[in-house]
Amino acid sequence: MDIKGLLSDLQDFYALSFRGLLGIVRRPFYFKDAMIQMDYAGAGSLVIVFIVDLFVGMALSLQLSAELSSLGMKMYIGMIVGISVVRELGPVVTALVFTGRVGAGMASELGSMVLGHQVDTIRVFGFDPVKKLVVPRIVSSLIMLPALTVIGVAVSLLGGYYIAVFVSHQSGTFYWSSIRNILTMENVLAGAIKPFIFGYLISSICCYMGLSTKGGAVGLRQSTTMAVVMSIVMIIISDFLLTRVLLYVLGFSV
Amino acid sequence: MIVFDGVSFSYGSRSVLRGVHLSVGFHERVAVLGGSGEGKTTILRLILGLIKPDEGRVLIEGDDITGKSEEGLRDVRMKFSIVFQEGALFDSLDVKENVAYCLREYTSMSEEEIDARVREILGSVGVEQAIHLMPEELSGGMHRRVSIARSLALGTPKMFLYDEPTTGLDPVNADNICRLISDLSKDGRGFIMVTHKVSDALKVADRFIFLKDGSLLFDGDSRGLLHTDAPEIRMFVEEINYQGPGCR
Repeated sequence: MDIKGLLSDLQDFYALSFRGLLGIVRRPFYFKDAMIQMDYAGAGSLVIVFIVDLFVGMALSLQLSAELSSLGMKMYIGMIVGISVVRELGPVVTALVFTGRVGAGMASELGSMVLGHQVDTIRVFGFDPVKKLVVPRIVSSLIMLPALTVIGVAVSLLGGYYIAVFVSHQSGTFYWSSIRNILTMENVLAGAIKPFIFGYLISSICCYMGLSTKGGAVGLRQSTTMAVVMSIVMIIISDFLLTRVLLYVLGFSV
Repeated sequence: MIVFDGVSFSYGSRSVLRGVHLSVGFHERVAVLGGSGEGKTTILRLILGLIKPDEGRVLIEGDDITGKSEEGLRDVRMKFSIVFQEGALFDSLDVKENVAYCLREYTSMSEEEIDARVREILGSVGVEQAIHLMPEELSGGMHRRVSIARSLALGTPKMFLYDEPTTGLDPVNADNICRLISDLSKDGRGFIMVTHKVSDALKVADRFIFLKDGSLLFDGDSRGLLHTDAPEIRMFVEEINYQGPGCR
């Protein structure tokens, strides 16, 4: 891609993202559309988030117990699982699952609406496609990804508990007491801010890619693939940057 | 009156329209003909301001819409009723909700009033029985009829725009759509119908425009179209099994 085209695309993306965010507080509001999107993004993703986060928590706990038992430090499983899941793995894994299911769905749905002239129809009817299509998706991501992350973190901790107690034969009471100890304001904030940023990034990128679809089935495949790839890359990069900033702001020493 | 004043448009490096000059009255029944990729649909999209010309101006009733914002274009678009290729119905909504889409947004009608209005419009295009079906359950002909019904929901437009309304339909359904197009124009409202099927165009239109290489190769009546010497047009005319205009 030429530099001019890339800059033009970036400009369009920033404009769409900004208008999408601004649309949340500006009339008209399409509550029904937002509710439909929230149902799709939230309730629809619950099972897959549950399964993925459960096994991530279990795998993490298993790895830790294998490593820590050789050092005689298995009692720290709860603490390390808790910090890893609350601050890092919970938000990131849930965001990746959200991208795969909801983000890809957004891009392909909007892409097929573009190709099927449904977006043109919306414009002809006098609606703003950003307000009607993008804002409800951003709103649903901003609300449902943090909610799913909370559920995902809880399920991961449960998975970690199962391995710690029934495989590593640690005390369940001690596991939960370790988890309670790490649930400080700093740790919770370090993990709680991320899903809002990830949700905004995923929805903006996927809506932009979907609405930029051109060229039939091949174009739809390309825009959906790009939407997922770009979202994943941006989640990983922004996770690092956010972690760096949040550790500094919340007073952790590195 | 719709006026194209030296309009040029290209998709990337592919030039579609080159300095086109064209005037169409709201009462005219116009068919825009041409091969695939010759810019037929582009003309409709330019009229609605969905795309901006690279050069030239598009005037609707003397009003230059070229530089208008989406907000400013709303009034312009309300003058037209467009049926996109393959209907462009919203997949996630049933027929009733598709037709009621604008009614819910722009009117304060009660649920009963909306239901009655939707049934009335669907009845006028002959698909009232499909009111609770989803778009994927409709046949091609029903799809177009519902799309026409949806475009009529908010009221009477000044002009209809049809993008390939009979493409992909069997001859009986295509003929029915032609009849519907003719019926909707009986009160003097005109239309622009984009099609590559000359036989369908001859059934409904009075004026024929043939696009080739970004320019108007032909602009005239059916007699002129059928007797032109232009080889590009002759290929189109000769390829069809012309049955004669039978819808009016």
